[in-house]
Amino acid sequence: MHQHLRAFLLITATSLTLALGGCASPANRAAMTPTDMVVSKHFPYSLSVSTGGGSETGAMDSSNIADADLKAAIEDAVRNSKLFTAIVQGNGGDYELSVRVTNLSKPLFGGTFTVQMETAWSLTRVTDRTVVLRKAVQSSGTATMGDAFAGVTRLRLAVEAASRNNIRQGLAAIAELKL
Amino acid sequence: MNKLFRMFAALGLVATLSSGCAVNRATANVDPSANLSELKTMYVKQVPADESTYSLIADKLRSKGVTVTTGTDAPPAGVDAVVTYIDKWMWDITMYMLELTIVIREPKTDFPLATGNSFHTSLTRLSPKEMVNEVVENIYKGAK
Repeated sequence: MHQHLRAFLLITATSLTLALGGCASPANRAAMTPTDMVVSKHFPYSLSVSTGGGSETGAMDSSNIADADLKAAIEDAVRNSKLFTAIVQGNGGDYELSVRVTNLSKPLFGGTFTVQMETAWSLTRVTDRTVVLRKAVQSSGTATMGDAFAGVTRLRLAVEAASRNNIRQGLAAIAELKL
Repeated sequence: MNKLFRMFAALGLVATLSSGCAVNRATANVDPSANLSELKTMYVKQVPADESTYSLIADKLRSKGVTVTTGTDAPPAGVDAVVTYIDKWMWDITMYMLELTIVIREPKTDFPLATGNSFHTSLTRLSPKEMVNEVVENIYKGAK
């Protein structure tokens, strides 16, 4: 009977490990925010941010970037770098920034995960609806076995790194503008 | 009794390993500053290794009233937009298209004017033509 109990426990444990091992978590907004960003300009205008193209992370899915988290990460990065004087929600800002995720390529297997990301950044002046920036921003992020042993965690770290690099490049491109 | 446990063990393992969850995702978005109805000529940039997806995309766009050319080279001058795509395939008994991303770009800057993505795992797989139809329809639904 002990043998049967042992077999039962083994099956249960294996099933749980396999099932739970696949659970993914979404990219974290704080981890997507570049913290050490220094910009050469500080525009005396307010900014509203909208995001699109992201997706929620299902339980058996791999890590994705939710639109709300990407928006929050960009807003935090703008606040931290003081690129614009204020962030406003909805209409009413001097400039509107739209950032859309157009591609997020994630590996399925491997020891070192490299994620490729592409976003479309457009900045519009609200008063005359002039588009002052249209830019495709491509970035990548890598996480190794040293960063995390569990594959789902390693993939999330790579997604967050790609997103962080992307936000950094996008804001750097805005900082080069003459507004 | 031993046989019974072995049978349950085998069933449990097979069920655990083979129960792929059906994940379905279909999204599209268009840049606020883009107007897709103004794009009358497009160039579908064929992935060199691809034999069929590019032509399915071209046919679908033609059904939207767009004049479409295809090729692997740089886009010809004068087209209103360049269409790029990434198709990911997976094997489960047979090969199937797991994910398709189509991007409509501004020719000069490569800026993505509109993007659509569909993701369907094996249990709810779609044919390549159905994937293309879904993505392109979703892109045009999101247009102004």
